Amino acid sequence: MDAFDTLGLEPRFDLDLAEVEARHLALSATLHPDRFAAAGPSERRMSLGKAIEVNDAWRVLRCPVRRAESLLVRYGVPVGETLEPRPSQDLLIEMLDVREELAGARRAKDKAALTRLATQMRAKEAATTVALTHGFSTANGQTAKLEALLPELGKLRYFRRFFEELDAIEDELLS
Amino acid sequence: MAYSEKVIDHYENPRNVGTLDKEDANVGTGLVGAPACGDVMRLQIRVNDNGIIEDAKFKTFGCGSAIASSSLATEWIKGKSIDEAATIKNTQIVEELNLPPVKIHCSVLAEDAIKSAIADFRAKQAARLALEQA
Repeated sequence: MDAFDTLGLEPRFDLDLAEVEARHLALSATLHPDRFAAAGPSERRMSLGKAIEVNDAWRVLRCPVRRAESLLVRYGVPVGETLEPRPSQDLLIEMLDVREELAGARRAKDKAALTRLATQMRAKEAATTVALTHGFSTANGQTAKLEALLPELGKLRYFRRFFEELDAIEDELLS
Repeated sequence: MAYSEKVIDHYENPRNVGTLDKEDANVGTGLVGAPACGDVMRLQIRVNDNGIIEDAKFKTFGCGSAIASSSLATEWIKGKSIDEAATIKNTQIVEELNLPPVKIHCSVLAEDAIKSAIADFRAKQAARLALEQA
């Protein structure tokens, strides 16, 4: 049972996140420990286990990287280190440059540069999301077409790292 | 997960961080990345006329283990011949830094970076030789 099954949602990349949230809340409410206060120990344990599963599924589906990974695994395309193609030199050069610019903006405490870099990377992230949405919706579960999406997923992970670093720098400059 | 003391030392005092001129005929550049974690690692070597790596620099954006692995790699290859450097195995890096199983791919990345820097240098040399003989 994967995250889509757990929350009873159709397996697709362009999920309606409001619906994911609503399913998570509805299921969590039915599994709340208070409802099982009078139940026997095994039933309490089972409902707690199910509640944890629902929480985990929600965390997977609301994150685009993990959602894509979950979809690929569902259709038999393994993901993870050593299982995926190497990133292209173009992507590596681009990411090295942008991370160096980010480090430079941090040293210079240049907030305008941070905003500019964030905008630039948000646009790239959006384009990759569009590519993945299109890719998943046209793959129809075909392995070759799904495997072709791995480089796009790789990009999304690189962008995520960038934004994590950006968030940390913004916090640092605010404090 | 706790990092080993050696990883922390390399992370806090990375050796040989920097850039060499990638257009220099004696410089080889390796640029590698790990798609599953979003790390990027650049390792550069400057090779003298005797085939000895006289300088090595790296720049890594990634976790502590990736930084430590590339820092250690530059330390190890400096002063070695390119043939010797090419024999360095990721398992030696794992052993030296005490990397846990989930971080082994960081050492693989460092080994790949050394090999691609050497390959880049050799390709440049071959191109120059071809040009001289033409």
